[in-house]
Amino acid sequence: MELATQLIAYGILMGLVFALIALGLSLIFGVMNIVNFAHGEFMMVGMYVAFIISSYFHLDPLISLPFAAAIGYLLGVVSYHFLIHHILRGPMVAQLFGTFGLMLFLRYLAMFIFTPDVRSIKQGILVGKTLSIGWLTIDVSKGVSGGLCLLSFALVYWIIHRTKLGRALRATSIDAEAARYMGIDTKKMNALAWGIGGATVALAGALLAHYYYITPTIGMLFTIIAFATVALGGFGSIVGAFLAGLMIGLIMVLSGQYVSELKFTFIYILYFLVVVFRPRGLFGW
Amino acid sequence: MKASKRIFLFLFVSVLSILIVSPTLFAQVKEVKIGVILPLSGPLAPIGKSLKEGAELAADIVNNKYPELDISIAKWEGIPNLGGAKIKLIFADSRGDPGWGSEQAKRLIEDEKVVGLLGAYQSAVTKTASVEAERAGIPFINPDSTSPALSKRGFKWFWRVTPHETWFTKDLFDLLDGLTKGKAPGVKAVPKSKLEPLAVAAENTEWGAASLAEIEKFAKERGWKIAEGFKYPHTAADLTSETRKMIASKAPTFLFAPYVADAILFVKTMKEMKAKPRLIWGQDAGFVEADFYKTLGADVNGILTRDLFSAEMGKVKPVAGKLNEMYKKMTGYDFSGSSARDFVGVQVWAHVLNNAKSTSPEAIRKALNELHIPGKELVMPWKGVKFGSPFPNDTQQNELGSGVINQYQGYPDGKLHIIYPFEFATSKLIYPFPGWK
Amino acid sequence: MRQVLKDIFSFEDRPRFERIGFVVFILIILVFPWMVHSAYGRVVMIKFLLFALFGLGWNLIGGYGGQVDLGQAKNVGFGAYATALMMFWWNTPFWVTVPIGMIVAAAESFGVAYPMFRLKGHYFAIATLCVALVWKELFVFWDWTGGARGVELTIRPTPDFTYMQFGSPIYYHYFIFLLFITQLLFMNWFRKSKLGYELQAVRDNEDAAASLGINVYRTKVITYTITGGLGAVGGSFMTVYYLYIDPDFVMPLDLSILIAMTVMVGGAGSLWGPIIGAAILIPLDMYLGAWLGAGKRLGIDFMVYAVIMMVIAAREPRGIWGIIERLRKKG
Repeated sequence: MELATQLIAYGILMGLVFALIALGLSLIFGVMNIVNFAHGEFMMVGMYVAFIISSYFHLDPLISLPFAAAIGYLLGVVSYHFLIHHILRGPMVAQLFGTFGLMLFLRYLAMFIFTPDVRSIKQGILVGKTLSIGWLTIDVSKGVSGGLCLLSFALVYWIIHRTKLGRALRATSIDAEAARYMGIDTKKMNALAWGIGGATVALAGALLAHYYYITPTIGMLFTIIAFATVALGGFGSIVGAFLAGLMIGLIMVLSGQYVSELKFTFIYILYFLVVVFRPRGLFGW
Repeated sequence: MKASKRIFLFLFVSVLSILIVSPTLFAQVKEVKIGVILPLSGPLAPIGKSLKEGAELAADIVNNKYPELDISIAKWEGIPNLGGAKIKLIFADSRGDPGWGSEQAKRLIEDEKVVGLLGAYQSAVTKTASVEAERAGIPFINPDSTSPALSKRGFKWFWRVTPHETWFTKDLFDLLDGLTKGKAPGVKAVPKSKLEPLAVAAENTEWGAASLAEIEKFAKERGWKIAEGFKYPHTAADLTSETRKMIASKAPTFLFAPYVADAILFVKTMKEMKAKPRLIWGQDAGFVEADFYKTLGADVNGILTRDLFSAEMGKVKPVAGKLNEMYKKMTGYDFSGSSARDFVGVQVWAHVLNNAKSTSPEAIRKALNELHIPGKELVMPWKGVKFGSPFPNDTQQNELGSGVINQYQGYPDGKLHIIYPFEFATSKLIYPFPGWK
Repeated sequence: MRQVLKDIFSFEDRPRFERIGFVVFILIILVFPWMVHSAYGRVVMIKFLLFALFGLGWNLIGGYGGQVDLGQAKNVGFGAYATALMMFWWNTPFWVTVPIGMIVAAAESFGVAYPMFRLKGHYFAIATLCVALVWKELFVFWDWTGGARGVELTIRPTPDFTYMQFGSPIYYHYFIFLLFITQLLFMNWFRKSKLGYELQAVRDNEDAAASLGINVYRTKVITYTITGGLGAVGGSFMTVYYLYIDPDFVMPLDLSILIAMTVMVGGAGSLWGPIIGAAILIPLDMYLGAWLGAGKRLGIDFMVYAVIMMVIAAREPRGIWGIIERLRKKG
């Protein structure tokens, strides 16, 4: 019982972060059918924002959250205008290739600026504090991150489903051409999707930085996990990304408990099985 | 049609010209070139950087006069028996990829015309790179890879300076046995039941797998029970369940073999879960990198790590202290077991070249096989450098090397204190592990 | 039979400048080891031929088939492990291990192709990526294959054509060239074969192809199986070339991506695309790495490389071959 509670708690907390990382990828794909290899690198940028705010400006890393989101938004919009917009015309291979270039560029730019050293955030209201409830001991920063992930999810869900902007975004994602006829600036919508995608994942990075290490090469693993999460939940589905993220978090913790060496294998196999039986993911349309 | 032909021609010519242009340097009389292959980019880049700095410092000491240092290379200003020729290190990035290691080795050997090679940290890269040296008949001195298999291949052109995993694991069990007999400084005999069973986590790389295998072998020989011994995927996104598993095994002794990123994550997760092991031991690598203690600060206190060096070495070995100061001035952090090893690697090269009085491979080979550097020359607490066969099937392996086991005490401003060998101990062992605040 | 031979060796349907270019290219490669005295140049050439070989194989499914496969490294791994393990355990000659590696890789590809081709586009791409990663982790896990410690072969002192081990890279140069040219001729035959035409019809429009009576599913599965077999050849070469393999080395994700990238840069779906792509990316990567990789500031080499990749993707999504075709139409 003790074991089960602990594992489920850890799994859910981790899953929430995975879900927030995957959200942006899912959104971008839903709107313009493109997979972003640089996604994990956007997260890495968010982590470095938190790091800079905490160790150069000596402010609490929590303050970095809005900055990380803003910089992530900018990064998304800028990459859209300078790169993605131009590669959208090409075949799928060219798109993968272009975003892969972006990934390499960001990763090694970070290595150029920050050197390959491993960093972490040492001071902050949440950093290093733990909370015990019964058998359960959890890191406060993990708990708060989980909560903030939920909040960001709700916010994005609200933007997409309840605002005029979101309606335009959804219209673009269902049929870009029709949206254009109706007077929606689809280019702007695409940029917006990249902005929101960048903001959410950078935010996830800044949250993760509270209890994780920071290094320029960190992105790839999270990109792959995000791919599996998004594909599992269905490209373009917000709810799908959320549930798939939780699922992957739980599987990772459970398999880590029993066969640590194969813990990613289970995720890949699960993804494979799900898409074989439901070729558009659990919640894809 | 015409334009297209020109384009085609242009493409082929440009490709060809890229291939032909190669870095051919003019041979200078007063320079001995040594190729150094290290993981300067990729996930192990932080370690690669410090290894490079260690090697650079050694080359600087060989090439310039440092009268305040009491070792022979500091007085040489170049290699005396080669007319004062300077050592020039030519670095190549292996990216941690065995293929790249092999290709860079070829480039260094044939294009840069290096006299010999040094490197390459990851055992997998050392394997492929040393194959090229073996084929070309060029000496390869390996100061920093610890997989026992490397020196068991019977190569003619491969010498390993550092002790390997078998030693270090033996040291670990000597420490554990010593603890039960009350030999450890400042600690009364601890009953074996307070240290048993062991829980071991190793990353699933060549090195991690070798570490785990050695620990399991020695545990069986010396009669120590292992409660949990497992490998985990390296640079895993998360280690909560692995850490939890170790805690749940109720083992009082935790042994780890990760590189730096995972080492940090393990300690953070143990702290978060309020783990209460009585002893934590790390297998060098991740546990001795500057990033490890800079990142974790006071949380490292009480952790033991097998190592080859400690800044406290200055107390036992004055020259080590001076060298460490120089290194710290250059880089901002202390020598680690890794960077000190590459320092020794360059030092061995300097001595060998001096003894060989020539840069011909055969002369160097002879000098290497006859080499005997006494311990007082070295920054390490070794008896010296002399190649032989210390364990069954080992060939051209330094038999005078030895490891130390250090403990982090008093961080963030503290020191890595030597605990084992017990006679070199610079401080009392903190036992049991004090836990995290 | 005559027709088959003609299909294999004849490039007559290609324009004249391509044929001239091809002959020049072959000549350059043949004289290369004697003209270039830089060992690194030779090493780069061998690696270029290796990646051109990989690219030719991948071009089948990724170019002619239009299915983005991000898991070709698993086939490379199968080939490499087949050779390494059989040599290690039973001392099997190289030439026996190659077909076995190809059969294993093809059989595995056939097995996973069945469920996988129910997927399309990005779902398919990520499924291939996942399958390749699963295999890599299983090889790390499995002790018989050496696990993470890999397989190391002993050096044979004299040139050996049974085990394909040589001290001098010149032998390897002609050896990989032989493998490369065989595969190129196979591709030359394939693009003119019935399956080749069917595959291109499927790529251009699945519905139209189906209405012409082409079994879309079957076409894709067969192509994927062949691609698997072709990928293994390069893996076998890597084993005897480097004499050491481990899962992180021969089956990483980076390798899958790099293979797809070279084809993409050169021009997917064209006969010469993979060769051009490898001729640009591999020397670029290796020379940038050798010149800038050990500098004071890290990462410059990768940044230059990345910018070039992005520019090509944005400016000419059909790759270099697209530029050449366009210029030819103008000129």
